[in-house]
Amino acid sequence: MRSSILFGGAAFAVALSACTPANQDDTNTEIDVAAQGFFVEVHDGEFATIQQFTTPGGVSVWLVEEPSIPILSLRMAWQAGETNDPEGLEGLTNAMVYHMNEGAGELDAQAFFKGMEELNMSFSCGASNESTYCNASMLTDNADASFDMIALAFAEPRFDDGPFERFKREQEVSLQTRETNPQYLASRARADALYPDHAYARETDAESLAALTQDAMRTQKDMLMVQDGMLVTAVGAMSPEELAPLIDKAVSGLPETSETAETSDVVLAAAATAPVVIELPQPQSLVTFAAPAMTREDPDFYTAVVLNYTFGGGGFESRLMKDLRVAKGLTYGIYTQVSSQDKIQLWTGGGQTKNESASEFIAGIKENMSAMVAEGMTEEELAAAKAYLTGSYPLGFDSNAKIAARMMGVRLDELPVDFFDKRNAMVEAVTLEDVNRVAAEYLSPENFTFIVVGQPEGLDG
Amino acid sequence: MKYWISGGLAALTLSGGLSFADNTADAWAPETFKLSNGMDVVVLPDHRAPVVTHMVWYKVGAVDEDPGKSGIAHLFEHVMFKDTDDLEDGEFDSIVSSLGGQHNAFTSWDYTAYYQRVAKQHLGQMMALEAERMTDLIIDEDPEGSFITERDVVREERRQRIDNNPGAVLQEQVLAEFWDGHPYEITVIGIMDEVEALTPQDGIDFYKKYYSPENAILVVAGDVSGDEVRTLAEEHYGQIEPSGLVDGSRKWAEVEPLTEIQEITHSDPKVRQPVWYRYYNGTSQRRDPAFAYALDVGLDVLGGGNTSLLYVALVEEQKVAVNAGAFAWTGLHDDGPAVLYATPSPGVTMEELEAAVTAELAKQLEAGFSEEDVVRVRNSKAAEAIYARDSQQSMANLFGSWLAIGGDIDTLMSYSDDIRSVTTEQALAAVRSVFADDNNYIEAQLLPEDGEL
Repeated sequence: MRSSILFGGAAFAVALSACTPANQDDTNTEIDVAAQGFFVEVHDGEFATIQQFTTPGGVSVWLVEEPSIPILSLRMAWQAGETNDPEGLEGLTNAMVYHMNEGAGELDAQAFFKGMEELNMSFSCGASNESTYCNASMLTDNADASFDMIALAFAEPRFDDGPFERFKREQEVSLQTRETNPQYLASRARADALYPDHAYARETDAESLAALTQDAMRTQKDMLMVQDGMLVTAVGAMSPEELAPLIDKAVSGLPETSETAETSDVVLAAAATAPVVIELPQPQSLVTFAAPAMTREDPDFYTAVVLNYTFGGGGFESRLMKDLRVAKGLTYGIYTQVSSQDKIQLWTGGGQTKNESASEFIAGIKENMSAMVAEGMTEEELAAAKAYLTGSYPLGFDSNAKIAARMMGVRLDELPVDFFDKRNAMVEAVTLEDVNRVAAEYLSPENFTFIVVGQPEGLDG
Repeated sequence: MKYWISGGLAALTLSGGLSFADNTADAWAPETFKLSNGMDVVVLPDHRAPVVTHMVWYKVGAVDEDPGKSGIAHLFEHVMFKDTDDLEDGEFDSIVSSLGGQHNAFTSWDYTAYYQRVAKQHLGQMMALEAERMTDLIIDEDPEGSFITERDVVREERRQRIDNNPGAVLQEQVLAEFWDGHPYEITVIGIMDEVEALTPQDGIDFYKKYYSPENAILVVAGDVSGDEVRTLAEEHYGQIEPSGLVDGSRKWAEVEPLTEIQEITHSDPKVRQPVWYRYYNGTSQRRDPAFAYALDVGLDVLGGGNTSLLYVALVEEQKVAVNAGAFAWTGLHDDGPAVLYATPSPGVTMEELEAAVTAELAKQLEAGFSEEDVVRVRNSKAAEAIYARDSQQSMANLFGSWLAIGGDIDTLMSYSDDIRSVTTEQALAAVRSVFADDNNYIEAQLLPEDGEL
């Protein structure tokens, strides 16, 4: 890793980089681009050279320049999402983001879609519990006109009757189909069992759908999509001086700021003592399980990541796969993951098996948990987990779209710009003592609530 | 891991992305050569990150299975991860993983492919591993051994992919009728009873007949040069003697037009949203590229996405459907179906929906396509070329699958130009011929259990 300043041409950059003050961080350099009115701080990391800047209009951007393909991958996000839906209007944020590319300004939905197709660009928005986001991709030759489309969508979305009526029709169908969707049924049962009264257990229903209005969507947009706190990441054939004015143009129609509500931390209920069974007529049972995990800031987080790889996250290298698929042929696949979000942290897993073997399958999962708690991992397993987790990390940086997404993940989690460079060292630092302590603390079968969707045989209750 | 591709996915991969050599200034180009033992090699340079995707494609798939042995190509793909002379069961996985690699394999009607994604310095070792299992696989003949366990895994895979999923059950029934009498009529994952009866000897026979360098294509995409790949490939694959047992013939055949109109319904208590389909005889890019390009453009105008004629009329204006469109599977070697589909709005019966779709189809085909729509669609398809280059894995899949069905690089490289040269008249003529009034079709309906709405 080395320092450099990338601005105003390569020769200029080299000259400046030689003059970098000694007291700078060894990978970060800053320059005042007076003519442009903004600074660019270059972080020359191991996996990507990230240029950080705040546009003259005040938007914070992380950019990776990648000239080899004439495209730009763009992500924009805000740290507030669906939990801001008012009581009784569950689904409002989802409805709002649906309409963000359904017509703006003089363009109705058809004209907007055709406009995007003519530019060969894409632009769409979405939301999760704690974030709202818009993603775009474009050909750099068409960047100016593509950003005009985004600007129009941000400034003057139409929320027309036609798309709104279609949205409600689609939602009506989706309220029906989700009732036989095993993954949905399992996640609802998990919420009911572990955090029934938290905002994360709220969901769209027929009543809240009927209560949605176009005005409510406009209000929601003005609350969630604002200039203040907006995060942008971009990867493509474009420089900071080219990108900054385009972003400023795109966001100029957004409100400057707003108030959003803070979600309370989820307090998990005690684990269910017997599997929760949801009847669904199908030949296989979906088995999922969940237990408390730790926050991302917890010193044990990377220990859990390493442990999870060996236990159930590592595909064919995991103990659960080796036992339940390879040795016993009970499933096509079983996985686990540590899901540490800001307000909720769960250690989750799942797999499918024929109804007749549901009981054997669950017993097998629990035996593997108990064995990990009692005996821990081996040195060989620890070494293999670290080797994979560190060695595979570069695979996540081989496309513009992936890098833009990863940078946004880091920004939403409020991690530092050198996170990518330091992450492998945090994995390497995990010791066998750590993993065995964390296994004993977190992986007891009694910690886990099992949910079974299907027609499982041999389960009591 | 170890999955199979349904025709839909395979077809979409090809029809959606057979394109990348655009009019951009940088002269991106693949490099191709052949090893002395007959193994083809393709190198797809992408120097953005120090990563490579290494793939070996075998020119064998479900199409080549013998009667009564459905599913052997796919089960065999699973077995390739088991013991070899030098590797114990599971060691292939653990070596790749310990190097930070990700790997998998997949099977379709037309091919079987294995891949690893690794940091580039491990490319040689990936080749060594693939070469090892190309020549030295040991098939476990123990009646309680790994071949049999893996057969159980595949049966669970079948339950998960097909039997649990009413839409997949219906599609399997429809395709069996659509390709009745053609080798594609058997499902890739295999019929449950036939999979259950597959034996280790079936695996041994299959391995001998098809797994040999002259029946394989090496594709390497990523941060590597043609010369580097040539050196490594000659070292690891070039030393393998051709088995001499592969005759190279495939069971591909003409797909006969449907001889009657058929109706197939599948109802299941899990179905909450009915779906209506019509399957017509279509084409393939491999057999008739000009017609396939025209059909792909025409079907996008007619029914590809939310600016298409059918969607606008049925979903936006008449509001009888929540979704409606048309597409064709043109990426298989032999002709796949051209499909019309629609899902009814709440309260709309299947009869009403069908009447609305067929009336709208007749109206649009009578009226013809606008030049503006055709230009927009073909430019979009050509631009997918540029976006496709963002994923080295997609590029490797694109080239590998096309070469595995006997296609050539030049056709791929000229795709953007060829698709841009489709005229409004050609696009319309292709769609009119596929959906002509006197053509036969299979009508399929996915219904709730009582068959009523």
